[in-house]
Amino acid sequence: MFSRIVLSSCKSAPKACLLRGLATEASAAPAALEVAQVDAAPLKKTAWPNLHTGIILNRSPIITRTPTAFEKAYHAYQARIHRALHNPFPYDFYFKQGSPLESRFNIEERRRERKAFGAPFGMQTGETSEAEKLAEATMRDEEEAMPRVHEADINSDFKNLHRRGQRNLYLILQKQENGMAVWKFPQGSVDRGELLHHAATRGLEVECGNNMDTWIVSRNPIGVFHPPSPASTGDAEDVVFFYKAHIMAGHVRPNRAHAQDFAWLTKGEIKTRVDEDYWLGIKDMLSDF
Amino acid sequence: MSVSVLKSNGLPFQLRGLVARLYSTRKSEVSSSDPQKDTIRRYLYPPNIRNKASPTGTWRPDVARALQRAIPSVQAHETIERAWLLHQRHLRKKRDAELQRKFNCMRQAMQELEEIDSRLFREANKQEDPRARSLAEVEAMKKMSEPEKRAVESRVRGLFPRELRVPTDTPPKNGWPNEWRAFQRPLA
Repeated sequence: MFSRIVLSSCKSAPKACLLRGLATEASAAPAALEVAQVDAAPLKKTAWPNLHTGIILNRSPIITRTPTAFEKAYHAYQARIHRALHNPFPYDFYFKQGSPLESRFNIEERRRERKAFGAPFGMQTGETSEAEKLAEATMRDEEEAMPRVHEADINSDFKNLHRRGQRNLYLILQKQENGMAVWKFPQGSVDRGELLHHAATRGLEVECGNNMDTWIVSRNPIGVFHPPSPASTGDAEDVVFFYKAHIMAGHVRPNRAHAQDFAWLTKGEIKTRVDEDYWLGIKDMLSDF
Repeated sequence: MSVSVLKSNGLPFQLRGLVARLYSTRKSEVSSSDPQKDTIRRYLYPPNIRNKASPTGTWRPDVARALQRAIPSVQAHETIERAWLLHQRHLRKKRDAELQRKFNCMRQAMQELEEIDSRLFREANKQEDPRARSLAEVEAMKKMSEPEKRAVESRVRGLFPRELRVPTDTPPKNGWPNEWRAFQRPLA
């Protein structure tokens, strides 16, 4: 869907493109990119840039978000109003008269009434204690649901995919660059004549193994980053195009030759580990929650 | 709604079956052949709708007391409603701002890609045809086993995969699917 919109190309100078495309507040990111762009502009005709594809591998949320205290209170308030005003529930359509399910429903319903409106509501008028005990027994025997907090949360196990079930987790790898250990998204180079999304799939497989079910979302890149090139201006510059992917099964097995360590982190945690100019380049591509 | 005016004993023989659609029927006319249908009929079309508060049913007998417990006051109710709408507005603005930032990143990337390489730009903008199969795919499918062929065919290009799980209130009993056999998907 986006591809039709981005087809409207900008033929004017690169700097004008850059300034025109940014509708949000000015931040350090356009300044950094702008500087790199201006330096590269007169040399674009001479040196073909080295293309790389970065992959933003995302583990989507497993559980729904916890409602805030205000949202919970509002939902309870609306439920009370609905309970006061709703049309009569056709209970004899759903529950056979005299069945244990009916007595269990009555017990639960009285409990809900008392909880919604207070003590005088939901008082029972002569119910046999055996039926009640039977109903309570069936309620106890029901299966317990899994807890929303996993032990990986308590132990802060960053390699575990169960951690932070409500949040979006992103994979970053620890790589060696010029003797320093840096944290980055998985990255692969683009061969001559190879399409970018094919290069992304290949790069992900090389760096993280293929023991996982991944899906690259589209043919379009979702963002671009210019790493600060330390070399002289004569060399070709590096450009990294990022692609979004989802992981649905399996685990990451990083290639020892490329990366020493990996972690599944939320957006805030990525900020603490990654270099500052890298962070400024990638932060707008990630989901906040 | 002229049907409701007719009395059941004034109906011709062919229309007797339509007795269910009358709002006012004599209790003796209602047949008890199927008690479930009778229950449904009773709840959908109550016998006398003219003296009840709501057209499709009644309110509970202690509705006034219950409402007094539920709603503190008119002003409180309106304040709560306004607070909720404001909260929803904040969430909406945050969501829209995030999407706008992501879209700007995408647009920037596509602009730079167009300047760098027009062929890659054209290929990136191509619309995915879900039914099309590339030559590489067709070649690879010939040598695959049945389960592998099904795995390739089930992943439709341009659509979200079925394995992308919808978030639930509690996590699944089996946890994260750890077992995944390494499978080389042919490139599109």
